Amino acid sequence: MKLVTQAFCLAIFSLLFSPPVYTAEPGPTEQLQPIINGVIAILTDDALKGEANKIERRKKIMDVVSSGFDFREMSRRVLGSTWNTISAEDKDAFTVQMTKLLENVYIGKLETYSGEKVDFVAERVKGKRAQVTTIVDHEGAKLPIHYIMQQERETWMVYDINIEGVSLIKNYMEQFSSILRTEQYEGLVKVIEEKNKTFAEGK
Amino acid sequence: MNLRFQRYAGMKRFLLLFLISAFIPGAGGAADIDLSKAPGYKATKEDASEGGRYIPDLLTDDPFISDPVQLSGDPVFEDDFTFKKPPLRVSDPLEPLNRVFFTFNDKLYFWVLKPASNAYSAVLPADFRLIIGNFFNNLAAPIRFINNILQGEIEEAGVVLGRFLINSTMGVFGLGDVAYREFGLEPRDADFGQTLGRWGIGGGIYLCAPFLGPLNVRDSLGFIGDVYMHPVPYITDDATQDVIYLAEGRLNALSLSPPVYEELKRISLDPYVAARQAYYEYRNSIIESR
Repeated sequence: MKLVTQAFCLAIFSLLFSPPVYTAEPGPTEQLQPIINGVIAILTDDALKGEANKIERRKKIMDVVSSGFDFREMSRRVLGSTWNTISAEDKDAFTVQMTKLLENVYIGKLETYSGEKVDFVAERVKGKRAQVTTIVDHEGAKLPIHYIMQQERETWMVYDINIEGVSLIKNYMEQFSSILRTEQYEGLVKVIEEKNKTFAEGK
Repeated sequence: MNLRFQRYAGMKRFLLLFLISAFIPGAGGAADIDLSKAPGYKATKEDASEGGRYIPDLLTDDPFISDPVQLSGDPVFEDDFTFKKPPLRVSDPLEPLNRVFFTFNDKLYFWVLKPASNAYSAVLPADFRLIIGNFFNNLAAPIRFINNILQGEIEEAGVVLGRFLINSTMGVFGLGDVAYREFGLEPRDADFGQTLGRWGIGGGIYLCAPFLGPLNVRDSLGFIGDVYMHPVPYITDDATQDVIYLAEGRLNALSLSPPVYEELKRISLDPYVAARQAYYEYRNSIIESR
């Protein structure tokens, strides 16, 4: 009888003092914050500034960003139902081109960073999806940027960026479906490749 | 009688010229430029916090793509990997015509508005343009005041009124934004398109108007409503003065706003669709947040 009581007490104690399961995994904000801070650290590093260091800087930023941004998921979402109709090789090739496009767009935009403060102000989790809201303070103008994430195994990965209500992925999705209607998948890939070429040449 | 008719005719001319001079490229909406976004506009530290800030719920759309391999590493339910388009779609039956006007506005921007804005910026330093912007913004306060009332935002309307009174007196005819710097009263925006949206009126079909850029049926009506709430045509009966006033106001606003349109064009594969979608989502999010 005593043994049973002891066992019971032990069970109660272990329940009381064991940490809840969900704190074992870092939440969306905890996972996103170091990535954003890492990018800012690279952008403010004087040794990496300027046009001459562009390739090295972008490579470093992409290394950091890739750990928290799922470019394949973004590619899948922008393509919509067409994703299911293309071959595995095409999926890989498309992801490469799309990653390059998003790199040019998003990191190209980040490179205009000039010491703005980034505040993590809110987090909303629904099942396996989450929304992390940041406010970027540019000389008093406060720009809300929402990162939409999903939990893949243990990691929260960003698959969309929403700025002032405008979704990056939805915007490209609409553009792509318009191009797909007239020029099919092959035409779309060509358009994306050409866009990436103009980025590489000029800006 | 004659005087009334003259005023009416003046209003009509004014409306027409307002339409012509009011082109704002990109997704910024047609009615007003938020000067708090202009460079050099300083904010205090505490309003960087989210206190009471509206955070939209962006997870309401179904996770229209769910791939079990991605989520759990388990390929067993690969068949469940389905696509369902979110219902958020812009109605655009006039697309061919809209595209013509989009190209027209693009040329207008690069051939006329941008050179004009650059020349203007070269002559006047940014600080000075900011002061001019304050003046124009202050005079447009009745639009924001009436619309806040119509939307039932009495408190917001009070802020607009307070800002107008403080800036018109202590800010010397609205040249300085004392209400913000000294009293912490942030600018509150409101236009009639928002009001109509708030009243439950849908956007209607998408329109890309020459000179005006992205619009929909609701916001076009809202825009006309805003013109009638603007005090300047009621003060002057001379259409030429109205034109000069408005052209200067728009040019000033353009010279202060970031090059949204150029950025949109840079990152888009189909700028027309990009602008349409961005305008649609931006206006919806503003109306939802109110």
